[in-house]
Amino acid sequence: MKPHQRRAVSRTAAGVIIIVVILVAAVGAYFVSMQTSGSSSTSSTSTTSTGGPARTSLQVDELNQPDTLDPAVSYETSGWEVIQQVYQGLVTYNGTSYTTYEGVLANSWTISPDGMNYTFMLRPNVSFSNGDPFNAYVMWYSIYRTMVMDQAPSWILTQNLAAGNGISFNVTASMLNSINYASPSQSNLTVMNNPDQSVVVLNASAIQINLGWGYNGMAPYSAFLATLETPTAYAVDPAYVSGLGGVVAGAPNNAMTTEALGTGFYKLQTWVLGQSVTLVRNPNYWANGLPSSQLNNAVSPAVLDTVVIYYKDAVTSIADLRSGAVQMIGVPVTYYNVTSPLAGVKTSVLPIVFGASEDVHYLYMDTQAFPLFNDLNVRKAIANGIDYQDIIRLVFSGHAQEWVGPVPPGFQYYNESTAGLNPYQYNPVEAAVSLANAGFVAHLPNGTTLNPGGKAFPAVEFLYDSENPTDGPTAEIISSNLGSIGIPVTLKSLPFREYSTLIDSPSSQNTTYAMGLGFYSEDYTASVDYVSYFTTGNYIGTGGYVDQKVINWTTAAATTMDGPTMISAFRNITQSMYQNYSEIWLYVPEMMAVQTTGLTGIFPNPAGSAMGYFLYYNTVRYSS
Amino acid sequence: MVSLRDFLPYLGRRIVGAVVVLVGVSLIVFFISHLLNPDPAHLWAGARASASTIAAVRAEYHLGQPWWTQLYYFFQSYFTGNFGTDPQTGKAIISEITFYFPNTLELVIATMILIVVFGVGLGYISGMRFGSAVDKVIRIFYLTCWSSPYYLGGIIAVLVFTSYIPLFPSGGIVSQTLAPINRITGIYVLDAAIDLNGAALVSGLYHLILPATVLALLEFGIIARIMRSSILDARWSTHVKAARAKGLEEGEVRRSHILRNALIDTNTMIAVTFGFLLSGTIVIEEIFAWPGVGYFTYQAIVSANYPVLIPCVLIFTLGVIVANFIADVFYSLLDPRIALGEGGVT
Repeated sequence: MKPHQRRAVSRTAAGVIIIVVILVAAVGAYFVSMQTSGSSSTSSTSTTSTGGPARTSLQVDELNQPDTLDPAVSYETSGWEVIQQVYQGLVTYNGTSYTTYEGVLANSWTISPDGMNYTFMLRPNVSFSNGDPFNAYVMWYSIYRTMVMDQAPSWILTQNLAAGNGISFNVTASMLNSINYASPSQSNLTVMNNPDQSVVVLNASAIQINLGWGYNGMAPYSAFLATLETPTAYAVDPAYVSGLGGVVAGAPNNAMTTEALGTGFYKLQTWVLGQSVTLVRNPNYWANGLPSSQLNNAVSPAVLDTVVIYYKDAVTSIADLRSGAVQMIGVPVTYYNVTSPLAGVKTSVLPIVFGASEDVHYLYMDTQAFPLFNDLNVRKAIANGIDYQDIIRLVFSGHAQEWVGPVPPGFQYYNESTAGLNPYQYNPVEAAVSLANAGFVAHLPNGTTLNPGGKAFPAVEFLYDSENPTDGPTAEIISSNLGSIGIPVTLKSLPFREYSTLIDSPSSQNTTYAMGLGFYSEDYTASVDYVSYFTTGNYIGTGGYVDQKVINWTTAAATTMDGPTMISAFRNITQSMYQNYSEIWLYVPEMMAVQTTGLTGIFPNPAGSAMGYFLYYNTVRYSS
Repeated sequence: MVSLRDFLPYLGRRIVGAVVVLVGVSLIVFFISHLLNPDPAHLWAGARASASTIAAVRAEYHLGQPWWTQLYYFFQSYFTGNFGTDPQTGKAIISEITFYFPNTLELVIATMILIVVFGVGLGYISGMRFGSAVDKVIRIFYLTCWSSPYYLGGIIAVLVFTSYIPLFPSGGIVSQTLAPINRITGIYVLDAAIDLNGAALVSGLYHLILPATVLALLEFGIIARIMRSSILDARWSTHVKAARAKGLEEGEVRRSHILRNALIDTNTMIAVTFGFLLSGTIVIEEIFAWPGVGYFTYQAIVSANYPVLIPCVLIFTLGVIVANFIADVFYSLLDPRIALGEGGVT
């Protein structure tokens, strides 16, 4: 019996120990949580007492984690957000402006009268966070690296630039990997100084970029500085890349996917995949100690020590904001009524240009996949058959607006382009008449059937993004609207990645989804970026729309530096697409900024990737 | 108990069976994913990828070749030991799995501890107090928890315990304001303990409490139910009556005759639950931003990334196989009448 008794006692003891451990853990958790909330208030107090900037941390909740942190590969807003804190380029948007620019790694620049040559004078004494030097050779390497790797966003550069001039000069991966960028040899310099190429090193602190070698042809590009602002033209450290495997033509550098090292004010500390990105202040930042006359909002050293970006769903993000665990969240405008009443939280609906830069929405009809869409009457019936206001009211609680494309609302020359044009209006009677005129049976709202002897319109598969919470309800309203006039629609959804890949594929007659919801968000903040997508892409998501006249106008708008010429071209494009119902322009959702009231130092800019409405975390701080 | 001579052939048969199951599962996932998306090269290459990039992806993964050729290369990647390369990140899939899997294991082990405590404990109390108010309350409690969907339980827990009563963090495995720790096993709290890093250990445990408790509450019902019915069976069995008739102490009767016998059936369900949880954490990992293999699998599913999806499914399958095997071994340990091998559990 004794062994049994001893075992019984030890089991009891084990049970007690377990209970004690659980209790201690619970009490510990409670105190940790108390300390966490306490530390926030301590920060605020210290700001007040010292009067100086509080060196502390910022916690942010967002929906999506980066695709990759390689500037030559990343093609999603969430990736650019992190990259823009760690890496830097030659120029950026000037504060809150999105049509003027200021220098980052460039001190100054000049543009030749014909708009074909840009000469950049680089800042001196710039270095990467590991101490490696930045110079004109590094900039030469960085731009060519993007083009030689030829990943998804490289077209932003290769519109105007190329790795070779097609005749006597070609930059290759082995060339990029073999040059000594800290102290180039004479043969290295011969390559980088060659005047017949896209990027020419003039000297260690000056480069010249020559347009005309890219697929746009020998012409200037009105939004060229905007393209240089994108991560595709950010400086990367050749020595660092070399240590991670170097450049391989036509392939990503996998080691660079989750690693990052740039000249920026923040360093990447960790990216816990699926959870968070942590940025810490770059202690070796080259602009530390520069006089304020040499600083601007894109260059100033970081105020906050740490920025942690967590990737969570909208409900959890709002819970975190309410509890004070985070200070900023990125959630859709459909949550406006949830966040706006929260105490200590500032919810602002931003000007429509922010929504437009985030994404504009439309309905596409692929004429190549579904020839009936070639009939103007059919397209007109669809344009008049959709209750736009119903979508805005029911799906967006009023937080969206109608638009006329392809220039997005709020962007340069939108008003001039759309002067005299109203967004398409819901008119079910006119829609039914148009459908009947196209030879199909159509129904009026009062139940009357038009053209009863006509053909029944065949069912169309209608594609939308299953991961976008507003796409499903929008698709259902459209399906109901069109069904009631006599156009049966079968709804089909795909997960975002599959959906976006499909709508960005070239249009062909084999397309399954001849109709659907499309969206476009900017690659850089320029009207011509949107216009080019809609008019020259020939994508499934633009309905395979191709019109040589419109393409010519697009070329005119892209290559002129003259405002009136650009306006004229945009206006012609807008009128033509509007009258042909080439796309059915649906809505632009508003965008909102949600943050605790104590945050300041944010420069809202529609080009922003951080929370979608600003570019850089370096100036963000806590107010007293 | 079982001798080594009986055990080894038994183990051999189980391994052969496991290999057959794993190959079968691989084939099923392979064919289903190829039916759903026969040529995902464009999807893997990314939106607006150049034609040359798409062609390179198609060539690298043999997507333009017949399915049997693709199948050959697919199984070949198993024998290289790295499951091939993730077409979307370019990293070795095995390295990605070794990052995500320990996180899931951490969550599942913590959850299983709580499930055993809740399930066995409440099932035992409920069974021993059959018909009482306590029994009814426990039954209502576990049935309510068990019938709640993951997303509902997870979101309610987040709202209540991170927002209205902000006791716990809403997600993540550790506070990101802490310095990173040495990654040894990949299980964060274990690594923090090995590293003797108290702050990291407390933070890791603190982040673990809410998701593990939610998952345990949503899953412990089946254990409690089985435990309760096993207790009832044991309580009214002849051998228990005989033990009492022999004059054994009530505590001894409960421990050695009721509880021990009830644990035989419950043990099976605990093992099955463990296997299930390995694959069942997808929703909870999404809600709590827990970077586990469930999250990784979800990402693979939505991007038709079957080179990643298949190894993930294999891990889930392997988890179930191993869990069942362990259950069988425990069977024989708990009940000497049950033998492994011929004539016993096979």
